[in-house]
Amino acid sequence: MTKAALGPAVRRAAALLVLLGVWESASRAGWVDPFYAPAPSSVGSVLLALARTGEIWGHLEATLLAALGGLLGGLALGIVLGFGAALVPALAELLEPVMILLNAIPRVILAPLFVIWLGIDLASKVALALILVTVLIFFAVYNGIKEVDRRLVERVRTLGGGRGALIRDVYIPSITAWVIGNLKIAVGFAFTGAVVGEFVASSRGLGYLLQFAQSTYNAALTIALIAVIMVFALALFALAERLERRLLRWRYDQP
Amino acid sequence: MLRIDGLTVAYGGPPAIENVDLEVGAGQFVSLIGASGSGKTSVLRAVTRLVEPQAGSVHLDVPPGDIGFLFQDDALLPWRTAAENVALGLRILGMPRPAALRAADEWLARLGLSGYGHRYPRQLSGGQRKRVALAQVLARTPRLLLMDEPFASLDAIVRVRITEELLGWVERERLAVLLVTHDLEEAISLSDVVYVLSRGPRAGVRARHTVAIPRPRHVLDSRADPSFGPLLQRLWQDLGEPAGDSQAPPP
Repeated sequence: MTKAALGPAVRRAAALLVLLGVWESASRAGWVDPFYAPAPSSVGSVLLALARTGEIWGHLEATLLAALGGLLGGLALGIVLGFGAALVPALAELLEPVMILLNAIPRVILAPLFVIWLGIDLASKVALALILVTVLIFFAVYNGIKEVDRRLVERVRTLGGGRGALIRDVYIPSITAWVIGNLKIAVGFAFTGAVVGEFVASSRGLGYLLQFAQSTYNAALTIALIAVIMVFALALFALAERLERRLLRWRYDQP
Repeated sequence: MLRIDGLTVAYGGPPAIENVDLEVGAGQFVSLIGASGSGKTSVLRAVTRLVEPQAGSVHLDVPPGDIGFLFQDDALLPWRTAAENVALGLRILGMPRPAALRAADEWLARLGLSGYGHRYPRQLSGGQRKRVALAQVLARTPRLLLMDEPFASLDAIVRVRITEELLGWVERERLAVLLVTHDLEEAISLSDVVYVLSRGPRAGVRARHTVAIPRPRHVLDSRADPSFGPLLQRLWQDLGEPAGDSQAPPP
């Protein structure tokens, strides 16, 4: 991190610490009801207990598997369908309205249907995460190809390049830029799909635990689980960002 | 080298250009001038087959691989480095990648860009990008060069410098050139023959002038030649504008 970027990071961390300190003191002084807003220290001890008993690992594994499965599957399906629709007009005719419809609705309403079709295990969560990601990536690829810079296409053609050169040197890099540009959003969508799917019906996963914490009015456990999900989503986010900076070097490298 | 007979190009509406005849001999530098929107670019697009002409024909004595086309904008691939962009033109001709990259580096050095091969287009200035585009075209050692106002976007100093380099190259290698431009002075100082296109739509060739300035030339010195002034005046008249006032309406 550069010196210039260090300033805001330090200030933000300090602000967070102050906020946690105020919250902790308010809780200890009895100004807020720990039933609704348990002190950061009790949230911390819940987290420690979850880790120590090993209870959380199975749930974490289930959620991560569902999110990753949905993310990878959704990327693959979105790329294939987007490519297909852009290259085969008949396919676009069929797919475009379906995708527009799926994009317009809150796709999580499909969760109950997936439970009925696929059961309460991993498959229905993967399916929900997958559909969320697929629609996003479909449009990224489809529009990426349709809106590829005509001047670049003409440049390669006047150099004598055929379909192969166009796909290798223009279309694939252009689509990569669109897909990678949407990767961080896709990570968020994948987690949404996995957790909401577990919320609706499941016997494992962070969403299931959350549902349990809510039904027992356990605010400390709820906050602890939200923190865990945040940390994992942020970690995947950071990974996606590194990938983006690596694959899109041409966009980020400084002169 | 290139002969255009009765060329007509339309994009749905009335033809942009109609019945255009034009010839570029071996080693000849030919300019096609006209007001903006007169359809000059359509002539080049038809030659490079980016559009199908409605009528007329384009005869080329050179294989497609021997034609170089320099665009108005540099149109470099943003995701390829300068060297990879130059190498692209060679790889399309069938040169293996390592050899193409070596040749690209040599060409970049020749155009004053040694050490810039690994940079991406967005890390280069406008003039540097233009040199990369020029290297991309010249590396293929074309025999016919088609140019569409290639240096219009550059500032005056860089423009004179790059034009001078290109002129030297064209004269040394005896390349045939068809340059499309709205810059009359540039057209005279570079060309052997200048064609004047009337205003579009339905633009056609209004006049053809030979330029008597001896070669080798230098961009700035050419303007001091005694034939420069009178020819410039004639071109203005051909374009239907009073000399020195491009804002005046056509008569």
